Amino acid sequence: MTTQIVDSVLEEAEKQDAKKVTEVHLVIGKLTFLGIEQVRFAYNILVEDTIMKGSKLFIEEKDGVIECPSCGYKGSIQYGDDPAYHVPIPTLRCPKCGKAAKILEGKECTIRSIKMLK
Amino acid sequence: MADNKEIVKGEEVTLEIEPGMDILEVNKQLAHKNMELLREHNVKAIDIMGSIGAGKTSLIEKLVQALKKKYRIAVFKGDLTTTIDAERIGRHGVKVVTINTGLECHLDANVVARAVERISLRDIDLLFIENVGNLICPAEFPLGTEKRVVVVSVTEGPYMVVKHPFTFMTADVTVINKKDLAEIMKVDTEQLKKQARDIKPNMKVAVTNALTGEGVEELIKALEL
Repeated sequence: MTTQIVDSVLEEAEKQDAKKVTEVHLVIGKLTFLGIEQVRFAYNILVEDTIMKGSKLFIEEKDGVIECPSCGYKGSIQYGDDPAYHVPIPTLRCPKCGKAAKILEGKECTIRSIKMLK
Repeated sequence: MADNKEIVKGEEVTLEIEPGMDILEVNKQLAHKNMELLREHNVKAIDIMGSIGAGKTSLIEKLVQALKKKYRIAVFKGDLTTTIDAERIGRHGVKVVTINTGLECHLDANVVARAVERISLRDIDLLFIENVGNLICPAEFPLGTEKRVVVVSVTEGPYMVVKHPFTFMTADVTVINKKDLAEIMKVDTEQLKKQARDIKPNMKVAVTNALTGEGVEELIKALEL
């Protein structure tokens, strides 16, 4: 995934004839399996020998938002509170009516903006 | 699309672009195309995800045996390197296309689209796509199937469901396989069922033994086949 992110940024930079990329801003949804730490780690390795070397990576995490087709509830996804698990387990159960809701936000991996020098 | 802001500082020009591009979106769009193409040909496609050794291939064998009189079936088999499983499924007289991913830990909509080109959609009504054994990455890559199944087995222990909530969120049906070993493994299949439904209340669950075929009828019902 990080390879795809870096490739896409390089492609955009090339389109703009940039000499150097200075900042990359990402939005990553909390309902993806993407680990922020690992993205950062891979990013720093992948940008070596490219015009992205030395660029700053900003990652904004986006909370999960669900919508219930049964009762119309729209809001943050709920998490189970079982103390046995260190990471709370998300549930698609609607907090209002208990039926299955759909994910609206939280599955994204978006390149929001890129700053570069021409 | 790109909203450009150009700032000139002395000789240096800083450019900020906002591509707003979603890395996962490309796959989603391709998945959508796959779905449209399959629907056009009245082909029902089912993505079968699951952990390594959970029994995905054995289940598909049993599904094929049970359904091959009712449907004309094809199977896509994701596999890193071999065609062993494809041969197993092929013995049942259905068309099998192996998708060797080489390095990749999951199938994506693009490789599925290429596999679709290798079969005649007019000659089939049902397509099983066996994903690469993995409970993580496939969650992020819809393939364009009508339904997604996730297979776990009791020999993987009691925590397979809660450890991979995002995968279960994307699935319509959960299979809990190797039910005959549940007692020996001290795993409560009812508990696994409950956990899957805690994550997704409308989850359909089938408890199976893919070697004997027990529970496969239940799975067929859950798949509405």
